[in-house]
Amino acid sequence: MKILYVDDEPDNLVGFKASLRLDYQILTAVTIPQAISCLDNHPEIKVVFCDQRMPVKTGVEFFEEIRVSHPLPVRILLTAYTDVEAIIDAINRGNIFRYVKKPWTEADIISAIDEANKFYMANSMLSIKNDELQKAYNELDKFAYSISHDIRGPLSGILGAINVAREIEDVEEMKEMLFLMGKSLNKLDTYILSMHDYYSLQRGELKIKELDFNKIIDDLKPMYTVLSKTNKVAFNVSVEQEEIFRSDDVPVKLILNNLLSNAFKYQDKKNKNKSVDVIVKVQNSLATIYVKDTGIGILGTHIGEIFNLFYRANFQEVGSGFGLYNVKSAILKLNGQIEVTSVLHQGTTFRVTIPSV
Amino acid sequence: MNIEYSFIVIDDNELDCFVIQKVIQHTYKNVSIDTFHNGLGAIEMIRNHSGNDRPPAIIFLDLQMPVMDGPEFIEEFENLPSEIQNNYVIVVLSILSAARYPVDVFRISHHPSVNCVIEKPLIKEKLIKLLVQLKPGD
Repeated sequence: MKILYVDDEPDNLVGFKASLRLDYQILTAVTIPQAISCLDNHPEIKVVFCDQRMPVKTGVEFFEEIRVSHPLPVRILLTAYTDVEAIIDAINRGNIFRYVKKPWTEADIISAIDEANKFYMANSMLSIKNDELQKAYNELDKFAYSISHDIRGPLSGILGAINVAREIEDVEEMKEMLFLMGKSLNKLDTYILSMHDYYSLQRGELKIKELDFNKIIDDLKPMYTVLSKTNKVAFNVSVEQEEIFRSDDVPVKLILNNLLSNAFKYQDKKNKNKSVDVIVKVQNSLATIYVKDTGIGILGTHIGEIFNLFYRANFQEVGSGFGLYNVKSAILKLNGQIEVTSVLHQGTTFRVTIPSV
Repeated sequence: MNIEYSFIVIDDNELDCFVIQKVIQHTYKNVSIDTFHNGLGAIEMIRNHSGNDRPPAIIFLDLQMPVMDGPEFIEEFENLPSEIQNNYVIVVLSILSAARYPVDVFRISHHPSVNCVIEKPLIKEKLIKLLVQLKPGD
């Protein structure tokens, strides 16, 4: 734990350092400018002690200044004088945490440091929690909106259909409507499953085991082979794995599934040579996965946003805006990285790297 | 029942389009209905059919759509000459009604060209009520 002590009398600094150096890392400064540069160079300083009687500026004035420029360290004033005005100033202007009377005893200082440390920790936890809370609120807002659109949307369609069904007599017409109702329900079902993925990625724990990418890809293959045939998209797979790779298969499969389904979904319908390539290489405890398509591509201005929750770069196809967000969450969870390169009307390549655990 | 209106349905959801068409057809006989999956096709048709050979049309407009969404359609529509605008009544079909107060729906409902917002799904009773309400003004 780093502590800064500011005093213009070198003897005091030496004494302070001598009695506390075993328990703390003590930095010292004899002038205010020196103290400020010390704070700049050591942002991890948790507690600042300063003598009130300093040349040029008082301790209170120094605290008043760093309160704005370096708000994190906890401020403690040391003074031999106990006039009420100075104490009031120290509290109101310097916003100090403690006030220690000179000559100090080691016990006074240690107790002040302990309390200051608790205060510092509580403050930094609070700011981390605040950031997390803000993020959660933002996601909640997006959720509320998405729930109305993606859940109530299909449901109101179905309700309307049931209502109108009472008056439909033609069987073919009814069949057509049932087909469309089925499509709506499938969309809702996909949405709910993605929401489940979202939740388990945010909250669930990793279950590490040995992964065989040949097997993982073989399991996924049948589903995409069907898509490949119906949509006339060539599907090429290559896996190179000769070493043991340890990770959690659930997020890995989620990443592959989302990238592959996007690769098939966003193909350019006019293109004659459509293809999707998956290449997996495991080397030096690192799995590198490429998912490459010859699809419509992503506009340069959209590429930075595609991993955001509920962001959709393209509305031509059905989607919930969960997919790539979930991919990103899964990759973060596995300590991996993702890169994307895309050329409009030519295709997109995702490169994912995941370290073995 | 016969009415003096034709209809334009603008909604990207196939089921919603189908249901709206059926509700109209089962409520009123011999009406013309044009459907579009986004605002662009509709605004082009409105621009090109500015003659008075058509009965006034009620436009059922969805909000979230690809290519040209509801708000963009309204903006384009309000740039048309007023003699064209007067031939149409815009009714927004929204997943959540203005009463439930999402900001975007609330904003839309206050556009001069928007007659009202109806919460989905459109059912026969809502359609009849809408036409009764439109009657005295014309």
